[in-house]
Amino acid sequence: MLFAIIIFAHSASGQIIGGEDESKLYADTKQVNQFFRRFNGEEDEKGERYYARDKQYRSPKLRKKYLGILFDSQNPNLKSEQVTQFAKDVLDNNQLLNFHGGNWFSEVQATFTMNGVEQTFTLFMELEKHLQGTRWVISKVYGQVFDPYFQRDTTKVGKFLHPLSHELAFMNFRKAFSNPDSVSQFAVKRFRPDHLSVFLYEMKKGNLKFKSVESMKFHFFQVKGWYFELSDFNRPGNNAGWLISNLVKVNNEQEQAILKKFLYYEK
Amino acid sequence: MTLKVITTSLVLLTFSVAAMAQADISPERKQAIDSLALEKVRDLSKYISIIGNKKTPYSEASRVMDRAEELFAPESEMGVSSLNKKEVSYYTVRKYFERLMALNYDRVTISWYDIHYISDLERQPDGRYVGVVTIYQRFEGESDDGLKYKDTTKKDITIYVERKKTQIQGRTIEFWDVLLGDVKVTETSA
Repeated sequence: MLFAIIIFAHSASGQIIGGEDESKLYADTKQVNQFFRRFNGEEDEKGERYYARDKQYRSPKLRKKYLGILFDSQNPNLKSEQVTQFAKDVLDNNQLLNFHGGNWFSEVQATFTMNGVEQTFTLFMELEKHLQGTRWVISKVYGQVFDPYFQRDTTKVGKFLHPLSHELAFMNFRKAFSNPDSVSQFAVKRFRPDHLSVFLYEMKKGNLKFKSVESMKFHFFQVKGWYFELSDFNRPGNNAGWLISNLVKVNNEQEQAILKKFLYYEK
Repeated sequence: MTLKVITTSLVLLTFSVAAMAQADISPERKQAIDSLALEKVRDLSKYISIIGNKKTPYSEASRVMDRAEELFAPESEMGVSSLNKKEVSYYTVRKYFERLMALNYDRVTISWYDIHYISDLERQPDGRYVGVVTIYQRFEGESDDGLKYKDTTKKDITIYVERKKTQIQGRTIEFWDVLLGDVKVTETSA
C-alpha cells in the first residue's frame, strides 16, 4: 500500500511551474537570511551559497550587483545620492553584515487581547547567546494601552509628599494613594516606564492573551555611520521580498542614541 | 520494515560515517543536510498534492496524512496569512491537511514552482540546528458551477537538524536527522 502511495505521489507532484513567474521568485529576497547573503555577496543568482573557497565569495563585483537590488525602489524617501553613498561606504570599507554581530533587532507588531479587548503591542526582539546556541528574546515592549497609566506632568507643582513626611512615618501615604490616577506623581523624576515588566505581569495574571503577529521589520546599526530599516514587500515585480525601506546617515553616537529612543517609542 | 523506513535509513546511513567525530557543520556537511531536508520537503509537497486532489479516496488521503505528519516534529503548526487579511490563522499540521482535503471544489490542482531557498543552519540553545526552506505552491480550485479560485503561496518551512546515535550490530553509528517544524504559509502576489 505504501509503495502505491509513493508511486501515486510521484505522479501527483509532476506539475512544476517555470517561466516568468519563476524568475520573479528568484529575484525576491525570500528570507532575511537571503538579505544577509546578498548584502555580503555570499550566494549566486539561484540562491546557492558561496563559501570562502569559492572565487565569487564576497567579491566586490558581486556585492555591488546585489546592493543595487536590495532597496525598496518605490520609496521616494530613499534618495539615490544617499543610497549611492551608502553603497560606496559599504564596499570601500568592506562592511559586512553579521547575523551574530549584534546591533540589529526586530520590531514585531502583534495583536493581543487584554481583558477580552484586542490591543496591538510592539515587541522588540534581539538575539541572545544561550547555552549551546542562540535564541530570540524580548528586549522591550511598547503597548499604547499602557501609556495613560504612566502619564504625568513633572513641570507642575502637582501632588507631592512633603519633605518632612518621614517624621510622621509617611502617614500621608493614606492620602497620597487614595486616588490611583495620581499615584504616578509620587514616582522619581528619572523613572521611565518599563512596558515589558507590565506586559509580563499581565500575561502571567492571564489578562493578556496572544492572538496573532501582524507585521515585522528589522533595524540595523551594523554598518558604521548608518542606520537602515529592513521590511518585507509582498508585491508583484522583481523588487520584492526583504528590502531596505529606510536609510539614515548617523554621524555620531548621540544621533544613534536619539534614533534608538525614537524607534523604541521612548519619550 | 516498510519501504519508506528502508529508504530513510539508507539515506541516513550514507551520512553516518562522515558525520562521526565532527563537531560542527562543514560546507560539505551542510550541502548533504540541505539535500536531506529538501527530500523531506519534496515528500511533504507530494503528500499535500495527494491530500488536496479530489480524486484521492478518503481512506488513502487519511493514510497519506499519517505519513505527512511523521515528517514533522511534535506540536508543529501551520501559520496561514492571506493578502487581504494580515492576521495569521494557526492550525495543527493535521488540521491543516484536513482543511485542505475538505475544500469545497470539484477539481483541485496543486503544483509547485521549481524553486527553493535554503537558509543557513543556526544552532539553538539545546544544541540542535535549525534552518528554513522556502518553497512556492500554486493552487487552483474549480467548482462545477463555474466558481474558480487560484493563489500562489510561499511556504517557509522550519527544519530541525540533529545528530543522533544508533546501534547497528554492536557498533554505534552517528547520523544527522532532519525533521520539519512550524510552517508559515503566506499568500503572495505572484
